[in-house]
This record gives sequence, structure tokens and C-alpha cells, in this order.
Amino acid sequence: MNPHRYALFPGCLMPTEQYALELSVRATLPALGVELVDLPGLSCCGEPMKSVNQTLTLYLSARSLAIAEKNHLSFFAPCPQCHLALHETNIILQKNPAMMDRINDMLKTEDLHYTGTTKIVHTVDLLHDIIGLDAIKKHVKHPLTGMKLVVHYGCQTIRPKELGRPDDSENPQKVEEILKTLGADPITDYPQKLDCCGAPLLPNKPETALTKTGQKLQAIQDLGAAGVVDLCPWCHKMLDSRQSKAGETVAAKLDLPILYLTQLLGVAIGIDPTKLGLDLNLSPIHKLNLTGDKK
Amino acid sequence: MTITDLTSMGEPQADVRAEINDRLKRLQHHASDYCYQCAKCTSGCEAHKLLELEPHKIVALLKRGHITELTNNDVIWTCMTCLKCRERCPQQVAPVEILFAAKNLAVQNGKELPGKYTAMLQSILGTGLLQEIQTVTTTTNATMTRDQLCLPPLSLPTDITKFQASIMAIAMQKP
Repeated sequence: MNPHRYALFPGCLMPTEQYALELSVRATLPALGVELVDLPGLSCCGEPMKSVNQTLTLYLSARSLAIAEKNHLSFFAPCPQCHLALHETNIILQKNPAMMDRINDMLKTEDLHYTGTTKIVHTVDLLHDIIGLDAIKKHVKHPLTGMKLVVHYGCQTIRPKELGRPDDSENPQKVEEILKTLGADPITDYPQKLDCCGAPLLPNKPETALTKTGQKLQAIQDLGAAGVVDLCPWCHKMLDSRQSKAGETVAAKLDLPILYLTQLLGVAIGIDPTKLGLDLNLSPIHKLNLTGDKK
Repeated sequence: MTITDLTSMGEPQADVRAEINDRLKRLQHHASDYCYQCAKCTSGCEAHKLLELEPHKIVALLKRGHITELTNNDVIWTCMTCLKCRERCPQQVAPVEILFAAKNLAVQNGKELPGKYTAMLQSILGTGLLQEIQTVTTTTNATMTRDQLCLPPLSLPTDITKFQASIMAIAMQKP
């Protein structure tokens, strides 16, 4: 059996709006030998509801984990928020048997049972640690030569360290290493690298959320980066889709190409660009000449 | 009764409240023993720069047992959950977790959910996801949905009634 066989945990934002992420995940990972299984019955991971009712978050995550358990599969969660929620639920419920019993009582109605054996991987550890840079290198057909990119990791990808994040909390470098493998020349550090995109404030302080986005993008633009690589559908919604609005909040004309890591990976390993959702990015990604039109 | 009524004005749920109180008590004990108010959390706080959230003061309120002051203060809803405070506290106090517990308790106390939280909760209850399928615009100004992009159907709870019953039991049911 394929050792790289995972159930896809889509979450909410990717399958209802961030189609470029889903398209590029579904196109690139199988080319690297990953088999993605679509499980029926999944729901929101519950993370955005943690402020309202943490028990609800635990129930929603445990429910999905129980579905994966039933199918004897590990989860691949491309959204860092989902990855954190699923992972944290495992940790909290292992320490709180009473809560686990209560949730299992509710799961009975759907003929599910949670024990906490489901492993969860994210794009970063899947590519960097599991598939590995050497294997990725063998697939590179169109290297992103000299592309001066910066990485926006997003908060949940790296924090909190004690909850087993895909990369280091203070000096994450795995995505930069992946980009170097693809031939790019990433700027490995910049002062705002670990900062938030502002998306968690969308539900109740949308204006401040945009200011946060604008401030970070302006700093990156001043750095002279050619583009930004991101991982999280929430971050991408802010950095890409809302870039021009974010620019207004800091009185700057923002003009930065924003791409999902999986989109760039797809370009580099020679996936048909129409399968990577490149026409869904609203930021000026044409500036990177990814499809080589002008060559 | 609508979800808004149930979440913002509904009867308190005994077991959910008990769990939140337990959690707050544990956080309070830990903060009281370990937090020495160095304010490293506040110095790195993303919401501090824009919204004047001061996590070390949140911890101080909890240490002194001023729970009502905590839950009644709208500043608890300005946390961006960037998790830097939890990551960087030299004493392993997690102000972000105190804020989560305070917000949970505020909701239990009947505090109206700010912004879009009610709509998000309603959507999860209705379909299982935060929002319905959105139409997106391409760079050539065409509009697209999942189907047109040849993406497979959404994975959603197969028996929505059973799913809803559990969510109602956690988030909305009377004791």
C-alpha cells in the first residue's frame, strides 16, 4: 500500500472559497506520489469557534478524527488552523478522559468513536520531512531560478511549539528550504516574518484586520521581495484577495504577487498551470512570469 | 427560538459552564504561581499595537480573581490568537488561553456574540461548514464555483439531524 496515503481534511475556507489552494493541492501532491482520499461526512474543525465555545471545537475536531479512525487513515490538513485544532484536540482529550467520554457519548449517534490515534500532517511537514527535499528535487522541471520570494508562514503553522507545529516557532526555514529546492532564492528572514496576517479579526474587527494585512505587506514590498509564498487559506484571503483594500488602510499602493506554496511547487514540477488555479489569484502574479509567456 | 436567542440569551448550560470554570481555575492557579508580570506577552502582542490589548493585565485580573471584570470587558474580543504570548511566556502562562476561557464564559453569561460569530455558528449548525460555497472571480473577470473548476462535491455531515443534535447539546441546549 502507498505509504503516502492520506485522507484530505478540507476544512471550511479551502473548499468553499480558496479554490486555488484545493486545485494546487490536488494537482501537485499526487505527482509526488501522495494519494489523497476524499472521506464523506467531514465538517468544520471548530477552531474559529474556540472563542465562543471550546467544547464545540473539541467535538467538531474529534468527530472528524473519529471518521478518519474508522477509515484507518491519517489526515492531511492543508489549512494550518485545522491542523492545529485537530492536533490540539488530540492533546486536550488525552489529558481529559471525562471530556473524551462526553464527546464519545455524542459521537455514538453517528456510529463514531474517538480514541485519538489519527495522525495529522500539514503541507510543510509532508513536503519537507515525509516526501523530502531530495525526492522533490528529482521532479523539478522548471526551476524558479533567482526568484526572490519571502514566506509568510501564518501563526498556526509555527505556534505554539508545544503543540507539535510543522516548523520552528521562532526561526522557521522549512518552506525556504523547499523553495531553494525548487530553484528559488528566498529571503530567509525579515523583521515581520512571524507576524499575523490579521485574519482572525475578520469576524468582529474587519477594518483592523485589513490594517494588519496592509502593514505586513507594505513592509514586505519595501524589502524588495518579488512575491510572497503562503500556506494558509485565511492568510491568503487577506494577503491576496484583499490586498488592494489592505493597501488603502496604510495609504500604499500594494503590488505584490501572492502564491500558495503548492501553486509554486506545481509550476516548478511542470504541472499544467491551468490545474493550479493561477487565474484565481487576484494579486499581480503575472509579474513573476510563471508560465513563461514572454520567454 | 433562534440560534441568536439560544447563544446570547439562552439558559446557562451547567456542564459547559462547569468545564469553563474548571479551566479558568486551573489557569488562575498557574498564573498566580508563575506570572511575575514581566509583560513579555504584551510587548509582542499583535493586538496590542492596534487595539490596546494588554495580555499581562488580563493575567493580572485573573490572578486577583476579577472574573467579572474580565468577561465584561470587550477588549477580550480583540485577541488575534497569534499565539505569540503563549509561545514566548518565560513562565509557560498562556494569556491567549485565559482569553479563550474568558470569552467562553462571557458567552455563557449571555453576552451577545460580536460581529459575525453568530452567522458562523449558524452556518456550522446548518451545513457543517463556516460558510456556503462562494463564487469567485478570475483575473479575466469570469465567475467560478467549485463545480466549474471541476472540484469534487463538498464533504459534509451525512446525517445533518444527528450532527445538529450534538451541536445543540453543546452550544445551545438548556440544562
